[in-house]
Amino acid sequence: MLFPKQMSEVELIMPSKDLVAVTRTLSGYGVFHQVDSAYLGLESLGPNAWQDKAGAYSALERRIQAIMQNVGLQEEYPAKAEIESVVDMDAVRPEVDRIEEEVKEVSDQLSGERKRLELLESQLRQLEPIADVDVEVGMLKKSSFMHSILGVVPSANISRLRTSLLRVPHVFFILREDAQKPVVWILGPRSNSDVLERAAKSAYLNPLSLPDEFSGTPEQITAMLRKEIESAKQKISVFEADLARLGGSYKSELQKLLWDVHISRVMADAIVRFGQLRHTYVVVGWVPTADLEDLTSRLKEASREILIETMATSRSGHHAQVPVALTQNKWLKPIQMLVGTYGHPSYGELDPTLLMAFTFPLLYGAMFGDLGQGLVMLVLGVLMHNKIIMKSMQSLGLLIAYCGFSAAVFGYLYGSIFGFEGHLIEEYLHFHFEPSWLSPMHDILSVLSIAIDAGIVILTLGFLLGMFNNIRSRDWAHLLFGHSGVAAFLFYICFLAVVFGGFFGSTALAPKIALAIYSLPLPFSTLMIVFGVLVMLSGFLRNMVEGHTLIEGKGVGGFAMFLVQSVMDLVETLISMLSNTLSFIRVGAFAVAHGGLSLAIFALAGEEPDAGFWITIVIGNLFIIGFEGLIVGIQTMRLHYYEILGKFFHGGGMQFEPLNLKSAQEKT
Amino acid sequence: MASGVSGYAAISTRVRAMYSDLLAPQEMTRLGDSPDLPALVSSLKSTPYGKYLSGLKDTDMTPRRVILQIRNRLADSYSSVVQQAPEQTRPLIKQLFRYFEVGNLKAVLRSIQTVSSWNSDIAAWDRVREVLFPFGTFASIPAQAMVESGSVASAVDLLHGSPYEATMSFAMKRFSAEQNLFPLEVALDLAYWRHLWGEVKTLKGKDREMGGKLIGSLLDLNNLMWAIRYRIYHNLSEEELINYTLPFGYRVRDEDVRAIAAGADIASIVSRIYPNIPDVNALLDHPQSGLPKLEHLLKQQVMRQCVSAFIGYPFHIGLPLAFLLLSDFEIQDLVVLIEAKSSKLKDEEFRPLLLKTTLIQ
Repeated sequence: MLFPKQMSEVELIMPSKDLVAVTRTLSGYGVFHQVDSAYLGLESLGPNAWQDKAGAYSALERRIQAIMQNVGLQEEYPAKAEIESVVDMDAVRPEVDRIEEEVKEVSDQLSGERKRLELLESQLRQLEPIADVDVEVGMLKKSSFMHSILGVVPSANISRLRTSLLRVPHVFFILREDAQKPVVWILGPRSNSDVLERAAKSAYLNPLSLPDEFSGTPEQITAMLRKEIESAKQKISVFEADLARLGGSYKSELQKLLWDVHISRVMADAIVRFGQLRHTYVVVGWVPTADLEDLTSRLKEASREILIETMATSRSGHHAQVPVALTQNKWLKPIQMLVGTYGHPSYGELDPTLLMAFTFPLLYGAMFGDLGQGLVMLVLGVLMHNKIIMKSMQSLGLLIAYCGFSAAVFGYLYGSIFGFEGHLIEEYLHFHFEPSWLSPMHDILSVLSIAIDAGIVILTLGFLLGMFNNIRSRDWAHLLFGHSGVAAFLFYICFLAVVFGGFFGSTALAPKIALAIYSLPLPFSTLMIVFGVLVMLSGFLRNMVEGHTLIEGKGVGGFAMFLVQSVMDLVETLISMLSNTLSFIRVGAFAVAHGGLSLAIFALAGEEPDAGFWITIVIGNLFIIGFEGLIVGIQTMRLHYYEILGKFFHGGGMQFEPLNLKSAQEKT
Repeated sequence: MASGVSGYAAISTRVRAMYSDLLAPQEMTRLGDSPDLPALVSSLKSTPYGKYLSGLKDTDMTPRRVILQIRNRLADSYSSVVQQAPEQTRPLIKQLFRYFEVGNLKAVLRSIQTVSSWNSDIAAWDRVREVLFPFGTFASIPAQAMVESGSVASAVDLLHGSPYEATMSFAMKRFSAEQNLFPLEVALDLAYWRHLWGEVKTLKGKDREMGGKLIGSLLDLNNLMWAIRYRIYHNLSEEELINYTLPFGYRVRDEDVRAIAAGADIASIVSRIYPNIPDVNALLDHPQSGLPKLEHLLKQQVMRQCVSAFIGYPFHIGLPLAFLLLSDFEIQDLVVLIEAKSSKLKDEEFRPLLLKTTLIQ
């Protein structure tokens, strides 16, 4: 739960004769994340015909899909689909050819007739706007002085076409308004025919194409076209019925073919990425260690001669290439979503989901502490999670429920219920309800100070987790001199003692933890300078530990530039430590603001507990839940993304994507 | 419908984090110092592009493959932004992303036109796929089937049901008559930008203002360069030039485009629109070298608009759009570096082509 699933690297060596059986097992079980063996440099060690096969299966699959589409069949697999073996292309292709030929003959006729119908209908639509004009259409072409263009133009181009003709005399009619294909008629002097033609052509105007066999007035041509359309429609119905009949008779055969070719294609795609030796194949990949034993026994059933070498991968060291399978937990899904927005954990790295599942509601509740409003959010969240309201926001519902619960707990601690606090509860709600801890409105400085203390604890935890991650990955350079390494952490502790314990020590805002650290008998000022120098030279020291060039880019500006950059790094570190720590003041500030906002609502409601008073309180509470609830959510997210996760979480992990035929089977 | 603070809370935080991952001008300079392509790739591996290049073997290290790999980062950025953007802005971002699909579509059509001149022992698709943008699940064109269809007409038939069907059905009449891809490409471009501008117009308030500013600036760049090139290189007539350009944008007005179409002095128009671009006359005196420089300067204008979007009120579509555009410009710079290093160009030949300078950060 704290880390991605333990993964094992698996290397399989199998004889060529068992290739398909092993591939079937790997693809069918759904736990094997394949690595392209080409990376091992094995691809050139033997001839690989599978590349061509994979291409051929893929092409054949597309052809079968096209046939099914033509005969109106859904892309479905047989009800009882077994994962058998790769099919023999020579056996399958003639079957596909035969069906395709039969279907193609009818579908080509259908397609031809549809195109004819489309043309006839288009001609009819073009003529409709001028149906009542009692002139022969052919006459327009024969005019001696006028140039006429009648045609269909993309509707988006009409305005531009008009603009382009502004400088030549013309008349422009839109004969038929149509969202897609309006019919327009442009008429101008024959002397400008070249300009008119260029404008029409560049506006993609397709001139009306009336067949020569139709002559007469638009009305006469329209009648003829209607007759032809009727005849075309009848033919289309006959062809469609023929195709439906073919679909019915070939349904099961096509489904079986599609399934066989599909699994063959998936397996061939996998085999293409195997390494090939002369008589054996090498397969490399990753398997969750928990599934390894089961997979091994299945593979041994598939091939007696298979050699299986497994290496459990420790979480230490760098493992950029290890896929990361996270433990799925429906109760943590909304938190995983939040973490996912920031990054995908890498292997060996602590998955911050569990930590965030604790800190997110905690910080939210501390900022939005109200028993009544928290319970409303809890109920709202439960309703959303159970798809009773806002069905598409199931995960968000769970997050709202968690935050609502936390807000209710803090509301109990703060003695706040629907904004009523202290004497207001007795006065208006007629029962006694005291804060079990403190009231933010009455202990403002204490709340702010506690918030900074909480921030120090969380940031310290962040530093420690960052160091923990570095120890696990044996990244000693970053452990000692990284941004959240030992030197930076000790510098932070000294910084807390000197700045918050010493400098601000006498103020009411001084955090208790900083004061406690300051009271230790240690020379913090001196230590701060020492660790400050280490932080300043951290880049240099990291390079030294890692054995890299000591000063990066020393050609640019030389040593002086390096020193300036180091000083700037130290200043930046100081500023970020100060801002990161003070950033948590917002937790206390929002707790206080929450009380303040409630007071504002009471000021609007007045003192008399009449209907107006209660309506204002209800609307005010809804406003607080909707508006402040949202803002607090944003602040909580911000604290996590900027102040907490950055300390120890890098992300950038590769997602675990196993070979899987099951998903295809599920379609059945 | 989430908007404002609520809609943009998560995405603006995320985009700021991703923005900070963009390469600084100093890093770009450092990458430019690499002696050759392997060294450049090695340096890139220590940047956020590292995870996209980690699987690249030395034998695979052709400029095309490296470019393909780094473009995956932009595709991931789009995917991430689309998923997190408020619902009402997603069509705009998806349409912006389609720019690369339009590019893919043009590449596919060009490949079909020129396939006969290629070496026959390499499959057409294998040659084409390396130059296509990795569009992933957003793809709406069957690129491989189109390339394998063998003719432009058959390939266009495969666009049935795609967003390009209507545009191509009109333009194909001209292609059939002229056997030239120019009308198809112009039609695709015009339809793309019209659609994109239409999406901007569906937004409201600050979203519309920022969308108009950023997308409008990008549109200005394209519209202006089209108008200038159509006049200088293609010698198109006034009416053709007007029909091949667009009447909207952020700074460039329809009157400007029409004035260029009518033969007005281009330099004075450009100088009036962009008073901070120096020596436009000198650039246009030698269009062969001057127009790419002008385009470079206009791109930098867009970059400045993008950078300024990160200042001030953050809860609007401007941040995600600006980030995506800046990411694209960054990849354009990296493409320059990759091509330069593989062709062993001298510093003075490629550094002026880089968009990101210390003036824009």
